Amino acid sequence: MSNIVEINNLVKTYENGHIKALNGIDLTICEGEFVSIIGPSGSGKSTLLNMLGALDLPDSGSINVAGYDLVSNKNLNVFRAQKIGFVFQLHNLIPNLSVVENIEIPMFTSKLSNSEMRSRALDLLDAVGLRDKASLKPSKLSGGERQRVAIARALANNPSIILADEPTGSLDSKTSTKILKQLIDLHRSNNVTLIIVTHDMDVANLADRVIEVLDGKLVNAGDNSLLENKINLD
Amino acid sequence: MSFLKFIIKNPFRRKNSAILSIVGICIGIVVIVALGGITNGLVSTFEETIHAGGADFSISGKETGGSAYGTNTIDANWTDKIANVSGVNEAYPIYVVLTSVGDDYMNTLIGIDPNGTALADLSINEGRIFKDNASEAILGKIYAEDKGLSVGDSIKIDGEDFKIVGIYETGDSNMAGGVFTSISKVGDLMDDENSISNIYVKVDKGADPQEVADRIDAMYGDNITTVSSVMEMNQMANMLNMLQASSWGISLLAIVVGALGIINTMLMSVFERTREIGVLKAVGWSNRKILTMIVGESLVITLLSAVIGSIIGVVLCSVLCPMMGLNPLFTPYIFIQAFGIAIIVGIIGGLYPATKAVKLPPTEALRYE
Ligand SMILES: Nc1ncnc2c1ncn2[C@@H]1O[C@H](COP(=O)(O)OP(=O)(O)O)[C@@H](O)[C@H]1O
Ligand SMILES: [Mg+2]
Repeated sequence: MSNIVEINNLVKTYENGHIKALNGIDLTICEGEFVSIIGPSGSGKSTLLNMLGALDLPDSGSINVAGYDLVSNKNLNVFRAQKIGFVFQLHNLIPNLSVVENIEIPMFTSKLSNSEMRSRALDLLDAVGLRDKASLKPSKLSGGERQRVAIARALANNPSIILADEPTGSLDSKTSTKILKQLIDLHRSNNVTLIIVTHDMDVANLADRVIEVLDGKLVNAGDNSLLENKINLD
Repeated sequence: MSFLKFIIKNPFRRKNSAILSIVGICIGIVVIVALGGITNGLVSTFEETIHAGGADFSISGKETGGSAYGTNTIDANWTDKIANVSGVNEAYPIYVVLTSVGDDYMNTLIGIDPNGTALADLSINEGRIFKDNASEAILGKIYAEDKGLSVGDSIKIDGEDFKIVGIYETGDSNMAGGVFTSISKVGDLMDDENSISNIYVKVDKGADPQEVADRIDAMYGDNITTVSSVMEMNQMANMLNMLQASSWGISLLAIVVGALGIINTMLMSVFERTREIGVLKAVGWSNRKILTMIVGESLVITLLSAVIGSIIGVVLCSVLCPMMGLNPLFTPYIFIQAFGIAIIVGIIGGLYPATKAVKLPPTEALRYE
């Protein structure tokens, strides 16, 4: 299986080098893999995820994602639009737009017509079981439903990788499990690589591989050999 | 949903702020449209006056001190002399006398050749022009209305009954309330066929009135003097230029004030949506698209202001101007100017907040609480 992520000796600092958010990371992730990233707060998990999604540039090291060299490439917005789907801890939906319009937002970067955008957005709402809420404003939805809309939005442009930063961190554990199951199902059915940052070990253990970060370093890059016998969700 | 619809929806998320900006820019647009309408109205009345066929200048006796309607007289044969000066096309005398008119013991009676009324800038509003040497008179509209007289009535002038055959209007406020009859009739009444008060002169087509007036001054300057209505026109033109300049000044003020207001509104809007802009970047929107969105939102506000402001400006002007005796005239140019200003303000007002939004690193934006 080919690698979709290749990271070598990645360093990222903040505050003029005083904060070493990432301190020499080496990591490879296979196409279609489901990886969870764990570690204490402030250890650098979000920074790593932001690097993977080209939301920020490293100080040094190399990072290659889905065929893009993120250090030298100048069209990072195209990379983000076509290859990456983000799910944040907070849903970050646009409040004055309806649910279906929110899902269309990433598609503005594509060449789809308005009606193609609408039908794709409705299909995605079907996939997360919220088709009947399509015309509602996000404020009319529960926290769990909003996060499912955010997942549908992440899938809008058919990305190669979904990056989820504590996607259920603000939800109760029952809702949280339901949503994560849905996310994992979508990862399988769409054959999209899934990388989740989480505090929850039950969630982390659902992954093909668990990576542990501490003080900007990988203390455990996980066991790649388990890839073949995936944990059964049911 | 289209990108355009998204842009149009956004400014109204903060309704109060949007309305405040719209009101501010609206005021500027209302002023521009109203002032433009008034200026245009004045220009067109002014141009009508010039092109109505009025005289280019008039001639009076030296000792009248240059007054166009002096009661001092000159000899009637001056008319022929002036008519023969090169460049002069038409020259018609008028004879202004004071006599009893109607129930007024003393009033102005003006005698003019029936063919020369156009030169005196009289236009017949009702009825017809008097016949030569007949006991017929035409009255200024203001005078007729004031005295309750109309065509067909008769009026006593210098003890003799005159038939009112017409009502006239004129752009010359000095004569708007007067009474006219033929100059030969006035000579009759006064027992003085050889006196006239002024001569109206129209120059040949293409000739410069000032040059012809100078020529007459050079030839006969010892006895007569030219009173150039061109000079009055110049004064009027200066006033109009000032109006137009102040209209531009106010436009400029509107641009500056409007742009500051919209910058403030858009900056607040961008600031409040920091996280959202981070999300737009995360889902792959290019900087240019975000820039277009914010400048577009700014334009939505200013263009809406232009529409509302233009309507209010026209309505307000149409209601208030006639009360002040003004006739506003709205040309497409006024609205082009108003919308042009709205677009400039929209772009200036949106550009700075937009560049601020674009410069924000996405991670910073997403961390923003
Ligand atoms: N934009 C930033 N500016 C300054 N410091 C930052 C920034 N982003 C992250 N950090 C710091 O880098 C370290 C790693 O942060 P982060 O990756 O968010 O950790 P985690 O997601 O594991 O909680 C922390 O010490 C955090 O304060
Ligand atoms: Mg984090």
